[in-house]
Amino acid sequence: MDGELLSDTFVELTDTMVAGFDVIDFMHMLTNRSVQLLDVSAAGLLLADPRGDLRVVAASSEAARLLELFQLQNDEGPCLDCFRSGQPVQAADLAAVAPRWPRFAPAAGQAGFTAVQALPMRLREQVIGALNLFRASPGPFDPTNVRVGQALADVATISLLQERNMRHSDTLNEQLQTALNSRVIIEQAKGKLAERLGLDMDQAFNLLRESARTQNRRLSDLAQAFVNGTDTLASLDASRSRPRPSASRPPRLPGS
Amino acid sequence: MTDGRSARIWSLIAAQAARHGGRVSAADACEAAVAAVDVTGAWLIAANGEQAGHLMRVTDQASELLAELQLTLGEGPGPDAAASGGPVLASDLDEMEAVRRWPAFAPAARQAGAAAIFAFPLQLGAIRTGVMSLYRVRSGPLSAFQLGDALIFADTATLLLLDAQDQTAGGAAGSAGGPAGSAGAGPGGQPADLTRHRAEIDQATGMLTEQLGVGIAEAFIRLRAHAYAHDRRLSDLARDIVARRLRLLPDPDPREDGQA
Repeated sequence: MDGELLSDTFVELTDTMVAGFDVIDFMHMLTNRSVQLLDVSAAGLLLADPRGDLRVVAASSEAARLLELFQLQNDEGPCLDCFRSGQPVQAADLAAVAPRWPRFAPAAGQAGFTAVQALPMRLREQVIGALNLFRASPGPFDPTNVRVGQALADVATISLLQERNMRHSDTLNEQLQTALNSRVIIEQAKGKLAERLGLDMDQAFNLLRESARTQNRRLSDLAQAFVNGTDTLASLDASRSRPRPSASRPPRLPGS
Repeated sequence: MTDGRSARIWSLIAAQAARHGGRVSAADACEAAVAAVDVTGAWLIAANGEQAGHLMRVTDQASELLAELQLTLGEGPGPDAAASGGPVLASDLDEMEAVRRWPAFAPAARQAGAAAIFAFPLQLGAIRTGVMSLYRVRSGPLSAFQLGDALIFADTATLLLLDAQDQTAGGAAGSAGGPAGSAGAGPGGQPADLTRHRAEIDQATGMLTEQLGVGIAEAFIRLRAHAYAHDRRLSDLARDIVARRLRLLPDPDPREDGQA
């Protein structure tokens, strides 16, 4: 495990009180760091919506996102069990426990995943969601990695819930709803960009994220501007339609 | 289950509409929310895109005053909700934080009789159709259950406002006045499956802005109209579009372009 990245990640996870804090970016960071640190193939994150559902708020890949969605749609799977019990759920070999999740297990196999570890996002009796780790090879998860994964989930949960003294439930709910709507905006933007450039959804998402990074903007802001037509991502168009961009040239003009 | 919950809320809204004998509109969602969420009053501002909205419904005099105050002073939970894209839950207007945030509006709202205001943007991603605000004479946060209900009222009001836009344009999805008989039926007779199946619906909506050369609200209206006209579930139709098995044509009467 990369110790430096791990300590950086803990610092990032406690950095929720800054101006312009964005729950979606925060959750994406958590899933991406989980993949980098915990020897897993993909990670996904579910949060509880006061409407009564769990919602997929972040995933490190489209396959993981679809698999999380699959569980919600079929009301079955380790991540749901984890959320409902507030306890970690591990399936080291999904094929061996297929009877427990007759629909989820084959769907996970089709997506290329053979093992899953679900970790609750929980503070005392309040369970706000679940962090789910997927691996492409069967076998037990390394106990150290699981402990570190739970620590990441715990710190993220505490960071979200510690918000601003008495108003904390109001603030968290405001931020969560904003995040859920941002998630919708991002999906709308993915669809628009995928259609415009003939990409799949994963490619569209990566381009949006890259573009946000290059412009130093929040992903949700950029996605909204793109959907509303106030940002055409023209530089991105141009860089992609160029037949063979030379390797030394930056992919797009900065600051345009 | 959200399906049962959406159906319960839809029937409350439909009952509200039946009381005045008209077709179901977002104003009915605003009215019905007052009793269901246990607040004192509510108001709803309908807005089309970035334009300033119009006050569509107030449920009592204080609501009207509160709406006017926000408009006059240019500050308050409503404008903040519209700008931030998330609800603004001001559960105690006497709190320092509320007073700091709305130095003119917070004391004026207290005078008007409101101790707590909860403002919900009427939105679907980048689609913005207005703001629904609830006020209460007593301070204190909404319970998790009340908040969930308020969010579903706001979701439903959003769909009803989009339906109304579609009717103005002479589209096909506007059957909002229809019976709410089937379980989970929402506005336009669509199953209320937006929350759980929504990523594909959102992606398909984004794709349609390009295929049809329209804005995001119009794209969503056309997606629903197509599902309604072809008697298909919105999520199934969306999946076909995302998988590029189906394209819609830039034509006011959308027809399938055959199999891709």
